[in-house]
Amino acid sequence: MDGSSFMEGLFISLEPMNILWIIIGGFLGTIVGMLPGLGPATAVAVLIPVTFGMEPVSAIILMAAIYYGAMYGGSRSSILINTPGDGSAIAATFDGYPMAKKGQAGEALAISAVASFIGGLIAVVGFIFLAEPLANFALEFGPAEYFLLMLLTLSAIVALSIGKMVKGFLAMMLGLTLSTVGIDTQTGVYRFTMDIPHLSEGIDFLIVIIGVYAIGEVLYNLLTIDQEKKEKKKVGKVWFTKEQWKRSKWPILRSGPIGFLIGVLPGAGGSIASMISYTTEKQISKKPEEFGEGAPEGLAAPESANNAASVGAMIPLLTMGIPGSGTTAVMLGALIMLGLRPGPLLFEQQPETAWALVNSMFIGNIALIIINILLVGLLVKILDTPAKVLYPIIVLLAFIGTYTLSYSTIDFFLLLIFGFFGLFLKVMDFPLAPLVLALIVGGEMEQNFRKALLSSDGSLDIFFSSGVSIVLFALTVASLLYPLIFKFFKRRNQAKKTDRISKSS
Amino acid sequence: MRKFGMIAILFLLLFMTACSSGASSSDEYPSKNLEIVAPASPGGGWDLTARSVENVLSGQSLVEENINVVNKPGGGGEVGWKYLESKDSHSLAINSSLVLTNNLLGQSEMTYEGFTPIATLATEWQSLAVPPDSEYESSKELLEAIKEDPASIKIGVGPGLGNDDHLSLVQAASEFGIDPSQLNFLVYEGGGDVVTALLGGHVDAVTTSLSEVKDQYLADKLNILAVSSDKPVEGIEDVPTWTDQGIDLVFPHWRGIMGPPDMTEEEIAYWDEKLSEMVETEEWQEVLENNDWEGFYKNSEETKAFMDEQHNLYKTLIEDSGLIK
Repeated sequence: MDGSSFMEGLFISLEPMNILWIIIGGFLGTIVGMLPGLGPATAVAVLIPVTFGMEPVSAIILMAAIYYGAMYGGSRSSILINTPGDGSAIAATFDGYPMAKKGQAGEALAISAVASFIGGLIAVVGFIFLAEPLANFALEFGPAEYFLLMLLTLSAIVALSIGKMVKGFLAMMLGLTLSTVGIDTQTGVYRFTMDIPHLSEGIDFLIVIIGVYAIGEVLYNLLTIDQEKKEKKKVGKVWFTKEQWKRSKWPILRSGPIGFLIGVLPGAGGSIASMISYTTEKQISKKPEEFGEGAPEGLAAPESANNAASVGAMIPLLTMGIPGSGTTAVMLGALIMLGLRPGPLLFEQQPETAWALVNSMFIGNIALIIINILLVGLLVKILDTPAKVLYPIIVLLAFIGTYTLSYSTIDFFLLLIFGFFGLFLKVMDFPLAPLVLALIVGGEMEQNFRKALLSSDGSLDIFFSSGVSIVLFALTVASLLYPLIFKFFKRRNQAKKTDRISKSS
Repeated sequence: MRKFGMIAILFLLLFMTACSSGASSSDEYPSKNLEIVAPASPGGGWDLTARSVENVLSGQSLVEENINVVNKPGGGGEVGWKYLESKDSHSLAINSSLVLTNNLLGQSEMTYEGFTPIATLATEWQSLAVPPDSEYESSKELLEAIKEDPASIKIGVGPGLGNDDHLSLVQAASEFGIDPSQLNFLVYEGGGDVVTALLGGHVDAVTTSLSEVKDQYLADKLNILAVSSDKPVEGIEDVPTWTDQGIDLVFPHWRGIMGPPDMTEEEIAYWDEKLSEMVETEEWQEVLENNDWEGFYKNSEETKAFMDEQHNLYKTLIEDSGLIK
């Protein structure tokens, strides 16, 4: 790290105009993150014409603020209406929504904001000291390692579906099947596109998220509305309790680095980071049975991870010029237009720009926690909104969000299909996350599996050929066997106890 | 809650204005707002080309009428160009060699002849790159090794077979006497992923556009064995062209603009005038420089001849590549 350009970057990021851009970006990001379907990639893209007239350094600061701001916002709707704003906010529904149902919406919103904040700070510090070695570490990931990482992500489904394993796996199979729609990259063959050009690029997982969660949730509530009407929902306090903080503290500190590391890998991103940190916490927790029922640490962990991942994703972008996610890809395009070229030469030729961005992320996270804590009081009012007002708005937002994905009305049909499908799954008590998760990672997982085998001439040894792949494989096996081990120990402990009891008597 | 509603309504209004188009006609062209279709999502190469054209034409007051950029992504340009087919002469669309190859690969019914060529705007060049410690120091050495045992050399390409990255190497291989269908390609999601795979040593060589690897080359992270330009490229003059190395290959990765079928001669002349002025402006030169593009302007008539010639070339290359049987 070069001290003088670090300071110079700090001063640039502290210029009043840039602080203003950070706040605007963070606020915009929070808003688009909240709205189902409107994600940071869309927001950054819509702003491209605006950035034409800006200083390149202000433009990159603004776009980055939108990106991590959306990580704060994404969980708001997960918690309040069980509808994630983006793939990386899915994990926030697992415990965030149950918390809101228990009357702890305010606590949930506050703890997720604090978790995002700490995760973000951990990642920025990591960025400052570890950017270069981590960029090189990311390069170690070949097709075999990516495949195993995605397999590890899918193994989360086991942890998610305890109690309804068969349904969880059926939902996953469906998700994997949907992920095969579109052009096959290795061969150029069209799979299941039914001669609709629109389907050639596959089914956008965001449409599925909006469909099964937002539309599905609205339809489900329409069916059950009579039973719930009478009960007045409590919103709880706007700050969390000491007990909740004690439970969340360590999960937040553990998940930040996990999310950061996964974020550095191009193509992995927030969805995988939040899912892996959630299952990690569930599996090492002493009270795994509380996960899914509104455990604060089950919300805090993925929130810390996904925000850290969004900072990590800046590393391949800035040090190698390689976009690691949809949003960073749009950012790269916009920055090139402005004559700023992220890549191996950026830290050599314009170090102050790079460090200005890093420093702006510090300031941005501070601004965002203030914005989000202030919003808690306002947002919990959503729960008081009568269904006849709230649901039409959710449906309207769902359609708008879907339209912005590819500016096509064909997606509306897909949205409705998945909406009714989501309703069906809910009525049949299927978990939704395995379906969406499998769809998100399925396509890449398949392509990486095939690329790995193509490069090894069909030998499976490639999956055990590096230290990284062996570690990932071991983690996957541990994650899969975990429920069995858990049961075994529980039984043994019980046996011991009864043993002791019988001896002492 | 009211705030949510306001945002929603604002967005809705935004989209309604973006989608609306007046329908009046008079003798003067253009008689209403103009539209440039980017057949891709915002932020992609086609989108940025469309926005740059719009920015320079409007910013330099070359065109008085409003110009809107419309994104119609999907099907490798198919969705956007289908949309263009249905519009009148006030809509144009950005194109590239995909307008030829989609049809040649059997992925589309549309042909380039179904549109009115307006101009070729700019080009990038293709490159063949290897890791810095690679045992191959010239493209000849690499091609020799491929000739010996095609399966042993893993070549990264993205985001799909049949694109310029892929076909430029197909042409180089054929020129060298290698059966291109034997080349061992690993297909990655995009140009960035291809470079990551090369830097991490997961492939032996990559074929990609020069802009993806130029900075990495300047930072000594990889070595470029050949570029597909006709003369050395500014900034990296030490990298030899294919022709320098005795392989008869100049391969532009061009971008152009086209209109719906049956535009009148007056309408074509209008764009010839405006765009030939545009490519001379300093602002356009800056766009070229920022994107590592090179000026490649051809007017409507030249573009028509160029497209015919390119069509024949791509037809041969795709047949050679073994992609269609």
